[in-house]
Amino acid sequence: MSDALSELENILNITIPKDFVEEVVKVEEGHFDIISPFEKAYALMKILHDDAGIYHLTTISAYEKDDSFNVCYHIQHRIEEEVKEIPINFIITKIDKDNPKTPSMIDFFVAADYYERECYDFYGIYFNDHPFMERLILPEKWPDDVRPMKKEYSWEQIREITLNLAKQISEDD
Amino acid sequence: MAEDFRSRFRVLTDGSDAPLGADHHIFVGPQHPWAEEPAHFIIHVKGERVVEANIRIGFNLRGMEKAMEARTWRQNTMLIPRACGICSAVHQNVYVRLVERLAGIEDQISERARLIRMFSCEAERVHSHMLWYGILAHDTGFDTLFHVTWRDREIIMDIVEDISGNRVNPALMLIGGVKRDLPKERADKARPMINDLIKQVEYHKKVFTEEASIVNRLENVGVLTKEDAKKLTPNGPTARGSGLPYDIRKTFPYELYDDIDWNLVYYTEGDVLATTLVRLDETLESLRMLNQILDRLETASGELLQRVKPRISEGKYMTRAEAPRGEDIHYGIANGTDKPERYKIRAPSLGNIDATLKRMDGEYIADMPVILRSYDPCFSCTNRVMIINQSTGEKKIMGQDEFALKAIKAKKYNRPFF
Repeated sequence: MSDALSELENILNITIPKDFVEEVVKVEEGHFDIISPFEKAYALMKILHDDAGIYHLTTISAYEKDDSFNVCYHIQHRIEEEVKEIPINFIITKIDKDNPKTPSMIDFFVAADYYERECYDFYGIYFNDHPFMERLILPEKWPDDVRPMKKEYSWEQIREITLNLAKQISEDD
Repeated sequence: MAEDFRSRFRVLTDGSDAPLGADHHIFVGPQHPWAEEPAHFIIHVKGERVVEANIRIGFNLRGMEKAMEARTWRQNTMLIPRACGICSAVHQNVYVRLVERLAGIEDQISERARLIRMFSCEAERVHSHMLWYGILAHDTGFDTLFHVTWRDREIIMDIVEDISGNRVNPALMLIGGVKRDLPKERADKARPMINDLIKQVEYHKKVFTEEASIVNRLENVGVLTKEDAKKLTPNGPTARGSGLPYDIRKTFPYELYDDIDWNLVYYTEGDVLATTLVRLDETLESLRMLNQILDRLETASGELLQRVKPRISEGKYMTRAEAPRGEDIHYGIANGTDKPERYKIRAPSLGNIDATLKRMDGEYIADMPVILRSYDPCFSCTNRVMIINQSTGEKKIMGQDEFALKAIKAKKYNRPFF
């Protein structure tokens, strides 16, 4: 772990405090995973954005891991002189499943707006300090308690809910 | 700060939520003759100038990520190209590379298989870019150029159809390699067609740079500066038109792109003309790349398809590729079974919306179609089918209606199609 961490620190030209990361994994040459608990995630992202100058957020993926949620920010460190990108998967772990809340990174990336709202839509993960945490993609009349990407809903159940919703909307019209 | 977030759809029932200074509000979509895909734009204007533009998305959710969790890795190979009507090959390429890495066979893919994959991806880039600048010409009111580019686009469509059997969804890739070879006789057939197309695209570029009626319509329209581009994180040609020289084929090479001679294209002007020229130059680069790939295929050898076990061992991996529209990213998590635990797809257009809406600020309403077109909203164009009688070799081209009518009649009276 320490090898990967020091290599990443060299590339980014910063020092990352030891207690901010759980683990740094070198996936392949020039491709890293940073795993961070959600209490420290905002401070660590601030270092990556302000000191290392990372400005490009590609997307955010949320997923379930055991009894918690993980949120993964796919960010790119760009070196313009060498025309090179270092992809970093910034994984925030241990987000409580019953009351999922995690800091919003919208202060650093404007693009986080769409992706965080998408996670909220599909998983119900609430991003603190996001200026308008509303649903983005699902239909307006979609039931609020159903978060379709959760494992507790099977493909067949989601299909049934969707068909019922379509039927209900066509009857209302 | 709030004006930066364009995904917020303002509530306008009492007019209280309108941005400062706006006196009229124009609603475009979800169904609109301009846009072939459902998206809802709202444009706040003061007089003839745009104050702010917002978007509402989500009319086309198909639930693919959820559907993939219910299917095996192998079945998903044929579901994944359906993520996009135009850039299907690149989605499949990202997917198969991800699964190969998780299965630990990414080093065993032969040079020949990789070259055929690259051929498919580059041919797709050519036809996608040509489609786009054809429609851009149509939006600027230059319909002649629209017809000329779409006529020439048929050349690359014929090549794709010849090597894969399909026009827009070649589906050549499988986990472990490719499913079809590109034999020498087909390569020899394709080469003169590619050279013809290079001449045609050079002519298109000449029109786009020299014809005053189209240059005036695009130059200095919807300027996106490099600072704004860094902030709003566009990708692909939208970013490369604003001076961000990032193309994943160069910045994080995959397949054999670092082994082939090609130039990175980028412009610094930031207007719609710059993104157009990026795409025109890229089309030429891709066509030259196709010729190089065909040359290398003459000597490249190796097995086309490796064996892969259906169960993929636990792990997670992220892959990206340069789609015609920009950065295509997939993130897959395997749990040791034959089905994915989680699969995330982000197609490039979502990342480009913010930057495109930013381009609208302070522009004339009349420039709206051109600017909104600049990020390349995509649609399918498979409104024709060719039927070949296997025994006689007779060919017949028919439109969708004719085909449907014939199919219904054939089923109703239980008789053969021909």
